[in-house]
Amino acid sequence: MSELTPKNRKAELLLKAAAEGHVAEVVAMDTVAGCATTFDPGWEVDPFGGVASLCQPMEADLYGCSDPCWWPAQVPDTMSTYPNWSDGKPSAADDWRELDAVFPKK
Amino acid sequence: MAMLKTLAVAGLAIAALAGRAPDAAAGDLILAAAKPGHLYVIDAARRTVRSDFAIADAGDSAATIVPSPDGRRAYVLVNRMESIVGIDLRSGKAVFRADLSSPGERVKDFFAFAVTPDGKELIAYELPTRLLPSEYHVEQPRFAVFRTDAGLKAEPVRSYPAPRRVVMMLMRPSGKSFYALGFDLDEFDVTSGRLVGTRGITRWQLPEHSQPDVLAFWPVTEPSGVFTTPVTSDVTHGGSTVARTGIMTLDVGSGALDFHDFEDTAAIIFSSVMSPDHKTVYGSYTTLTKVDLVTHTLAQRQPLDHTFYAVNIASDGKELYVGGAMCDVAFYDPANLAKRAMIQLPGCGDQSVASLRVIKDH
Repeated sequence: MSELTPKNRKAELLLKAAAEGHVAEVVAMDTVAGCATTFDPGWEVDPFGGVASLCQPMEADLYGCSDPCWWPAQVPDTMSTYPNWSDGKPSAADDWRELDAVFPKK
Repeated sequence: MAMLKTLAVAGLAIAALAGRAPDAAAGDLILAAAKPGHLYVIDAARRTVRSDFAIADAGDSAATIVPSPDGRRAYVLVNRMESIVGIDLRSGKAVFRADLSSPGERVKDFFAFAVTPDGKELIAYELPTRLLPSEYHVEQPRFAVFRTDAGLKAEPVRSYPAPRRVVMMLMRPSGKSFYALGFDLDEFDVTSGRLVGTRGITRWQLPEHSQPDVLAFWPVTEPSGVFTTPVTSDVTHGGSTVARTGIMTLDVGSGALDFHDFEDTAAIIFSSVMSPDHKTVYGSYTTLTKVDLVTHTLAQRQPLDHTFYAVNIASDGKELYVGGAMCDVAFYDPANLAKRAMIQLPGCGDQSVASLRVIKDH
């Protein structure tokens, strides 16, 4: 954790809880079943710093990311948060025009 | 209730490249699944889709496929990882269904479940979350055991605590224990749930190697009885560090677990399968990779038409199958990685993260 610098109040509280041994109280941070907690770039750049090793075409990977909540910042999570996002659109390559942007519910 | 749609051999979305496979193992069937919740049975030799089963209440998703040991059923993880449905492969009827969630408790099974060798029990990995009015309360993960003759409203007959971060389960042939693979490789007793042993994956002790990265939720052990998956890590030697790709092999019968690097990381591999003679591993992603397990070297790499997550092999080792991601299944020559054929699944729904399994025809 010492390599990470908190950038907002919530992150500061998380560090404080960890330091005081109250990690269990913030266990909800680990709640998501399957949602990737990785900060790896995925949709922008491949592990080699280029784009040649990203999925080809990108539509091949779209539901492979939305179904298991992979990179949920880039692709809506249909496992829990936006379960109907891809309903009626079984082929990402054919139906991509029908796939809308999503916004948090108020 | 599943809807059966048996397809005529000639036509219905079969691509022009399809034709009889002279080298394919007679009697092999390929199981594939795709949106919005279809299970497909493909005659591997004829390269045709024999059956298209629409799974009821699949929630627009189908992921892990586990065939019953007698090859008469396929269990499919559906409903956004909250239900497991057993489909009779002759009639297409749903003969088993376990809905894991209940009012107030949402349960996800992240890819992992297994069936005992006698076919009588199915063990699911459950990640429960209590949905409270103002918060989600994360509960202890567990293995839940169902009887496979429990019908369409199956309830667990027993359950026991499970570790977090399990993404795959592999039943051992003895039926006494199963492997749970995640950050580490754990083995649990089927009856009691007792932890039999743990071997490190993220905590492996390989000299000069960093903590490895493993992506493994395609539970393929056919036809070799060995599960394989690519492993990447940084290897520091003589003051320099390079990313290396290796192959992890786990013999579910003997329990032998090995890791061997075979190249400086040059391509991504999602899933892999071992040849029946145990001499070769084939990996798939945007390229098809052939690894010589005798010399632990890269034997060949060939671009694919598009990304295929999942790979499998004929039971006689004479043909490779790639699927997952989009809506087609392609057939390749294991000797030179040349493409032989490609068929499109009816409806052309994406396979996404679904398994690609091979069983014998009955």
